[in-house]
Amino acid sequence: MPSWKPCVVTANMLKTGDVVYLGPQEVWVRNIEDAVVAHNSDELAELEAAGQRASDAQLVISVYAMDVDVVEGKARPYTVREIIRAAHGPSI
Amino acid sequence: MYRYDEFDQAFVEERCRQFRDQVERRLKGDISEDQFKPLRLQNGLYLQLHAYMLRVAVPYGVLSARQLRKLGEIARRFDRGFGHFTTRQNIQFNWIKLEEAPDILDELARVGMHAIQTSGNCIRNTTTDPFAGVAIDEIEDPRVWAEIIRQWSTIHPEFLFLPRKFKIAITGAAEDRAAIAFHDIGIRIVMGKEGRSEFSIYVGGGQGRTPVVASLIRPFLKKEQLLSYLEAILRVYNLHGRRDNLYKSRIKILVKALGIEEFKRQVDEEWEKLDKPSIDLPIEEYERIAAYFEPVNLQAAPIQNEQVTAREKADPAFAAFKRNNVFAHRVPGHVSVAIALKEPGKIPGDASADQMDAVAELAERFGHDEIRVTYSQNLVLPNIALSDLVAVYDGLVAAGLCSANFELISDIIACPGLDYCNLANARAIPIAQDIAKRFGEQKKAEDIGPLRFNISGCINACGHHHSGNIGILGVDKKGTEHYQITLGGSPGDDASIGSILGPSFPAEDLPEAIETIVAIYLEKRENPKESFLATYRRIGKEPFKDALYNPNALNSGGQSDALEEV
Repeated sequence: MPSWKPCVVTANMLKTGDVVYLGPQEVWVRNIEDAVVAHNSDELAELEAAGQRASDAQLVISVYAMDVDVVEGKARPYTVREIIRAAHGPSI
Repeated sequence: MYRYDEFDQAFVEERCRQFRDQVERRLKGDISEDQFKPLRLQNGLYLQLHAYMLRVAVPYGVLSARQLRKLGEIARRFDRGFGHFTTRQNIQFNWIKLEEAPDILDELARVGMHAIQTSGNCIRNTTTDPFAGVAIDEIEDPRVWAEIIRQWSTIHPEFLFLPRKFKIAITGAAEDRAAIAFHDIGIRIVMGKEGRSEFSIYVGGGQGRTPVVASLIRPFLKKEQLLSYLEAILRVYNLHGRRDNLYKSRIKILVKALGIEEFKRQVDEEWEKLDKPSIDLPIEEYERIAAYFEPVNLQAAPIQNEQVTAREKADPAFAAFKRNNVFAHRVPGHVSVAIALKEPGKIPGDASADQMDAVAELAERFGHDEIRVTYSQNLVLPNIALSDLVAVYDGLVAAGLCSANFELISDIIACPGLDYCNLANARAIPIAQDIAKRFGEQKKAEDIGPLRFNISGCINACGHHHSGNIGILGVDKKGTEHYQITLGGSPGDDASIGSILGPSFPAEDLPEAIETIVAIYLEKRENPKESFLATYRRIGKEPFKDALYNPNALNSGGQSDALEEV
């Protein structure tokens, strides 16, 4: 069985392009630490379904699941790309 | 410069209305993202990492003061107060909201600008010499033909859905400053038979994952036949260019697959069949367009100016600026001034709204209302009287635009990289900043001499790393940013593709590696006049490779002073 990596679902807001993460109650949040973390494939499927609903409702675009580290229960990005996205601006 | 006629203006305004309607329908949910994406891309609007990015066309890099002011206004109102000049002589705004994009296009239309064909598989902005019309080595002003190509290629119904994007460059000078060998089609104005200027046509050049230097397809083409000949090339490409594989879809792959002789035969065959008179430009139409590019009426003046000479003696920074950023003009007593958007430590190609305003004002007051964007991500004021040079320089100092490093090692061409771009594998900007700062000292940079330095954050090569004397390519190595070094590329008349030196370096080791390479050059050059590229071509890559990957072997042979710095 493949090893499972915790995930969150991310997207960009349709109107503004802002980076967002799927939070509790299907609310999209700016801070990755507020994102809901999926710890197994069933939880991820639920998050992805919610992402699809928001996409269908013209709220977000470019929805995808991304692997994260979890530190004290909160999601942390670990690839350079996702660290830069989560910072909402360039590294310079 | 060219000014929109009623047709141009009506067309651009109609596109603005169309796009506003498309955005409204998208926001209401009447069209899906899949349906909308090609529409927004046709208007230069990309989705990047943090926001939408709008790429605005600057046709062949020519701007009026009014247009540059408008770009500054857009930066201030709709972005975060700056814009990024690109390697296609365009400008990008990095922080755009979809809901505001229609208003931006309306604002652009007010000054005869748009974002059409800055994306998608169509014919893109034509690159040309930033010193076009004023260079002393020019045979003929290429802007006239760049404008003709712009008009011909804009919503050309046959060429809006090519296998892949298509880039044309044209130069009219003895020295190629438009990198024609790295374009899908490169055009050089040459002196032909009977003293008439003609075109030499090159085809199949490009960068990306398969870098190729263009091949000569036709040494002499009558100028009045340009459009039908371009059309024949595009038709062969449109028919036979691969659409099944994104990475093999550029014309360079087709030309390589067929061989230049067979490709030429097919183009000639197609050209024969074309109804040329219905495509080629009537002489009256040529003359109408050429009239927009009549040289500015400048009076010859003395080539020395007391104020300039005195300032040179008194102010080393001004003297350095004059040495590196000021160029001869076809009219005596005048110069072209290069404005390097490359202050070491700053983001290459970025200009703030205030800086755009300042340059616009200098262009109005001293520069006959004209600004050029270079593909090296700098600006040029092409028409400055020598007697105004000190005033222009002081204006640039006040705007923080007085870097005296044009075409020196710290004048680094860099794409936005992973700090902004959705395609990038690695950051380019911080690497450029680090390296430029290392070579920021004026004396050190000038001692190294002319050196083209390019950085791309991925293999798409927007930072043109293949054509850098020193090129850096960012790669993702097991989740970390690494950088591959290439040496020996050149975008000019002696066009060549850089050769990979060896395994890639992590970001933290890269500046040291570059210092090592430069130290080897300084040690090995025959004299201070021998450029980095000339030295590299004479000695090859082995000494550089040994110094980087096998320093112990060098140590045993006696390490030079230069190397001890590393």
